[in-house]
Amino acid sequence: MAVTQPYRPATVYESTATGLPPLRPYLAELWERRRFIWHLARTDLKGEHYDSAIGQIWVILDPLLMAAVYFLLRTVVRPAGTGSQRAAIIAHLVWAVFFFTYVSNAMQTGARSLLSGRNLIMNASFPRAVLPLVSIVKAVFDFLPTMLVYFAFHAVLGQPFGLSLLTLPVVIVILTLMNIGLAMLFAPLMVFFRDTSGFLPYINRIWLYITPALFFISEIPPKLLAYLRWNPLFPAFAALEQIFNAKFPSSGYLLAALAWAVGFFVLGAIVFLARERDFAVRL
Amino acid sequence: MTLLSDSDRPPAVLVDDLWISFRATREKNQTLKGTIAGLRDRGKRTMLIEALRGVSFQVPAGSVYGVIGRNGAGKSTMLRTIAGILPPTYGRVTVWGEVTPLLSLGVGFNRELTGRENILLGGLTRGLQLDEVYANFDAVEEFAGLGDAIDFPMRTYSSGMFGRLAFSVAAHLKPEILLIDEALSAGDAAFKMKSMQKIQDLCESQHCTVLIVSHGLEVVKALAERCVWLDRGIVRLEGPAEEVVSAYMADENIEATSASALEDV
Repeated sequence: MAVTQPYRPATVYESTATGLPPLRPYLAELWERRRFIWHLARTDLKGEHYDSAIGQIWVILDPLLMAAVYFLLRTVVRPAGTGSQRAAIIAHLVWAVFFFTYVSNAMQTGARSLLSGRNLIMNASFPRAVLPLVSIVKAVFDFLPTMLVYFAFHAVLGQPFGLSLLTLPVVIVILTLMNIGLAMLFAPLMVFFRDTSGFLPYINRIWLYITPALFFISEIPPKLLAYLRWNPLFPAFAALEQIFNAKFPSSGYLLAALAWAVGFFVLGAIVFLARERDFAVRL
Repeated sequence: MTLLSDSDRPPAVLVDDLWISFRATREKNQTLKGTIAGLRDRGKRTMLIEALRGVSFQVPAGSVYGVIGRNGAGKSTMLRTIAGILPPTYGRVTVWGEVTPLLSLGVGFNRELTGRENILLGGLTRGLQLDEVYANFDAVEEFAGLGDAIDFPMRTYSSGMFGRLAFSVAAHLKPEILLIDEALSAGDAAFKMKSMQKIQDLCESQHCTVLIVSHGLEVVKALAERCVWLDRGIVRLEGPAEEVVSAYMADENIEATSASALEDV
């Protein structure tokens, strides 16, 4: 029986130990999958909390309560003086906790993304970077409404407004790049060493305490500052502190933040792509 | 190497000396603690599982091809390799066309979503664009025949309903090479017949190639032209489905009558 077959290109699967897949086709395929990423993020959010009002409020309420706790803690340690000082502290705590929650949320859900996407990994073939990217999209969706809430605080607390606030998206983009890197770095780690999930909350907590989130940079003793400067989140939070005080962020901070973000992004991408063929074997 | 095929049709899938092995840990999951503790006694904690040991065969394009064998023979592992999910340890798999896997766990459905939403998700999981999914949406829905249940979350579905929707999504969104792993076993008799017809139709009118793993030997006999019998990771026999299934049944001491009787157990 002569069957005229339509022409179909060949795909070859071979054992190519580890190593990076060819980047251009990989990125092209990832781009083809943008709808898929979007849809997965949307449906995940819907399943998690977005269909219930309480769930959606909780996304904002949780970091706000955290900020309230830290405010109490701060005022116990060192009673704030005047009312305007107190207002400045509250505003700082609120934005800082919101931003830090964005980073830690992206990092933690990103780290778990491969484990929770186990079904998909075992049953379908697609660039695995889809899964950490889905958690980033989700984290962005959780984060953006908190910015609106912050600006309500900003106004009520009489904090200064200025053109510098327009540079805020720059820092958000830099932090998002960093979050992608962190998610892609921790996700494979979680597959190969399941107990890392236990460490992650502690890493996060320590990271929060060494980041100028709960305190102003001006409060850091100079000796300590020499060390804290090397925290990858330091430059970004320093730039944010300037922005929310209606000052333009210094280019030094922005460049340093960008350097850290690119560094994490490249490292995370290399680790992830080099190991991604192993995920199905290890899950 | 020579490939056992008397068909003059070009292959859609070519499996060439395929080896797959896992290093499985005796511990449930690998942990950092375990790895550090295990540096001293490395060999003891892991064991090598050779799921496939030098498997070769080819699937003629546009045909239904059966894969049979006992539990643990390496059938599902092989399908996952053909789908590009598991990398070969050694050897090579070549496929001509896009592979649509319909494996044991469904096609990436989210149980919290309705059947309708999952049709979309299933299509996107396969790498299709939205318009391609929408173009075939009604066909999928109609074939699954779930009625009003299509608008209920899938966590309310029975395993049969789950299987119906999974098959329907896989079969109606223009598959080129369709891998079916025991997906028909959950459906009822009528749906089984319907999907068998659909499989034949896909091959004849759409040049689709279907690989079907099944313990339903009668299904394999009825549908497949050729068949491979896997036995503990090696090819025991490859050839026309009728012959291979008979040899397998003889080896397993299954009577022909009881095979069909056991079909739905």
